[in-house]
Amino acid sequence: MVRREAGGSGETRLETWVSYVLITGVVVSFALEVAGLILYYRTHHSFAISYGGAAFIRGRNFFSFFGRTLLEASRGITGLHLMVLGIAALILTPYIRAITSVIYFASRRNVKYCLITLFVLAVLTMSLMMH
Amino acid sequence: MDMLSLFLISIPVGFIGSLTGLGGASILIPLMVFFGIPVKEAIASAMVSVVATSSGSASAYVRERLANVRIAMYLEMFTCVGAIVGATITTWIAPLYLYFFFAAFLMTSFLKVGGGSGQKGRPGERSGTGRLSGWLELEGSYFDEATGKTVLYRADRPILGGMGMMVAGLAAGMLGIGAGAFKVTVQENVLRLPPKVASTTSNFIIGMTALAGTSVYLFSGLLNITLMAPMAVGTTLGAVAGGRVLNRLTGTVLHVLFFAVVILLIAQMLYKGIASW
Repeated sequence: MVRREAGGSGETRLETWVSYVLITGVVVSFALEVAGLILYYRTHHSFAISYGGAAFIRGRNFFSFFGRTLLEASRGITGLHLMVLGIAALILTPYIRAITSVIYFASRRNVKYCLITLFVLAVLTMSLMMH
Repeated sequence: MDMLSLFLISIPVGFIGSLTGLGGASILIPLMVFFGIPVKEAIASAMVSVVATSSGSASAYVRERLANVRIAMYLEMFTCVGAIVGATITTWIAPLYLYFFFAAFLMTSFLKVGGGSGQKGRPGERSGTGRLSGWLELEGSYFDEATGKTVLYRADRPILGGMGMMVAGLAAGMLGIGAGAFKVTVQENVLRLPPKVASTTSNFIIGMTALAGTSVYLFSGLLNITLMAPMAVGTTLGAVAGGRVLNRLTGTVLHVLFFAVVILLIAQMLYKGIASW
């Protein structure tokens, strides 16, 4: 049944969670990318588009690539690291939104939507991990 | 072209994309191609800015209870699979075809202006029916500020709608765009959702679909960080500014702008396609 006072799909708590996940992801990503662009310019004194290997996302698994970038950044952060982390934050935003939805429907014991959201999460995970 | 000029170009692109409802990527890809960036690299990099602009606006639509998260999650099963297939096709086919596919798909943007009838969503009444929709709980409500009433709705023909969304996802993944106009048309005409629910739910789905497409491009050697970062920052800024002035412009101005931009983009991609024949 639709709850008139709630609006939307009636899943008020999920809508609030999802809304926060989305806006946080966009703000974090934006801040990292801007900081990355500034740091890149301060280091290279140029805004030239790079076609070197470091400018491309590399590897076969997004999560290990993300972990490797974090490790490299902890040893000495560069503008390119910050930009990569900004893009990664953006990529992870809908992914975290999918995880949030699975947790929510599991906690509500809504098997149908738990399976539907799990399907989307599984497809995304496979696509991000297997190349 | 350098990062600064790409950033500066992306701001008006995000602005116009937000005003016309085309989204930043549909405009940015032909522009990047015009400036000599390979079409496949432009498509792959633009997908990331689609995630940025979609997530930013979807956050507000969900909070305002306009987008229906349950319907969105059901439809995402189809769009994600479609986007992965579409992006895989792009990594394999000759760039030449992409110019023509892009131009052809831009024409579907006119569907939005032509307008689907959709379900008008008479206040207090569910006009959609169907056992599967009921079982999947593809229903909801929203408060219509124009009429001051709560509108109840239920999606029709969920299987057919899912197939339509798979085609939308395929085009989105293949061409690096949100394919919002096509998604809205499917939701209004096949699922028969009210226009406000269709457009906001479509916006919500676009981010997830773009992620599915991006996941294919991740390790294809097409995602250049120095292209993606200035583009994502610029289009986000432009889209935010566009959202703020949207209500101040008249419908006629928006329609003229929309037609001018779409025709220009179609012409640019067709020219590029014919020139590379």
